[in-house]
Amino acid sequence: MELTLALKNNIEEINRLHSFIEEVGEAFALPMKTVMNLNLVLEEAVTNVIMYAYPKEEHEYIHLTAKEQEGKLIFILTDSGKAFDPTQAPDADITLSADDRQIGGLGIFLIRKIMNEVKYERIDGKNVLTLEKEL
Amino acid sequence: MEIEKALNGTELTLKIIGRLDTVTAPELEACLKESLDGVANLVMDFAALDYISSAGLRVILQAQKTMNKQGDMLIKNVNETINEVFEMTGFVDILNIE
Repeated sequence: MELTLALKNNIEEINRLHSFIEEVGEAFALPMKTVMNLNLVLEEAVTNVIMYAYPKEEHEYIHLTAKEQEGKLIFILTDSGKAFDPTQAPDADITLSADDRQIGGLGIFLIRKIMNEVKYERIDGKNVLTLEKEL
Repeated sequence: MEIEKALNGTELTLKIIGRLDTVTAPELEACLKESLDGVANLVMDFAALDYISSAGLRVILQAQKTMNKQGDMLIKNVNETINEVFEMTGFVDILNIE
C-alpha cells in the first residue's frame, strides 16, 4: 500500500498535511502516539521545504509518499526547489536553561529523535528526504 | 487555534484552544508581543490544547525568556500528549509546569 499527497508551496497546506498523516495512521493502524510523532516530524520537514527550498514561489509542488516496507513505515518527501539538506542543520542543545537556549534547532532534533533513519539526497535537481520509522 | 485572554491585575491568563503549529504559532507570538507589558505572572492554560509542534515550542520558549526578565510563567493543565513533547525536548526542565 502506498499513499501520496501533493502540497502547494504555502504554509496553510500544513493543515492538509495533518489530515494526510491521520489517513496514514488509519491505513497502517498506527497508535495515536505514533501519529502525533509523525505529525511533528512531517510538519517540520514540509515547513523547511516551504521556507527554504521554495522561498516566495507560490505554485511549486511538494510530493509526499508513505509506504510500508519490511516492517518500516517510509516517508519520501520530494521537491524541485533549491538544494536544502535539513540533516546538516545543528541540533538544539536540550540540556541548556531557558535563557541559554537558542530558539531554533528543535525541529531537526525532533526528526532525528522520532525517526529511526533520516536520509537526504539531491537527485536530478530534486531534494529527496527519506524518513524511516520502525513499526 | 483560539486564544482566550484574561487579565487580572498583573496576572495574565492565556487559554490556548486547538493546535499550536507552524500555521497558528505566529498568532500566539503576536498576542504575547502585544500583551506582556506590565505582566508579572503569565499563566498558560493548555487544557484545550491538542497538539504542539516545534513552531509552538519556539513561541513558548520565547515567552519563558521574556518572563524570566519580568516575573514568572506557569503552564497548567498539560495533557499527556503535550507532556510527551515537553519531555522529548527537555522543556519539562525549563518550564514551570503545574
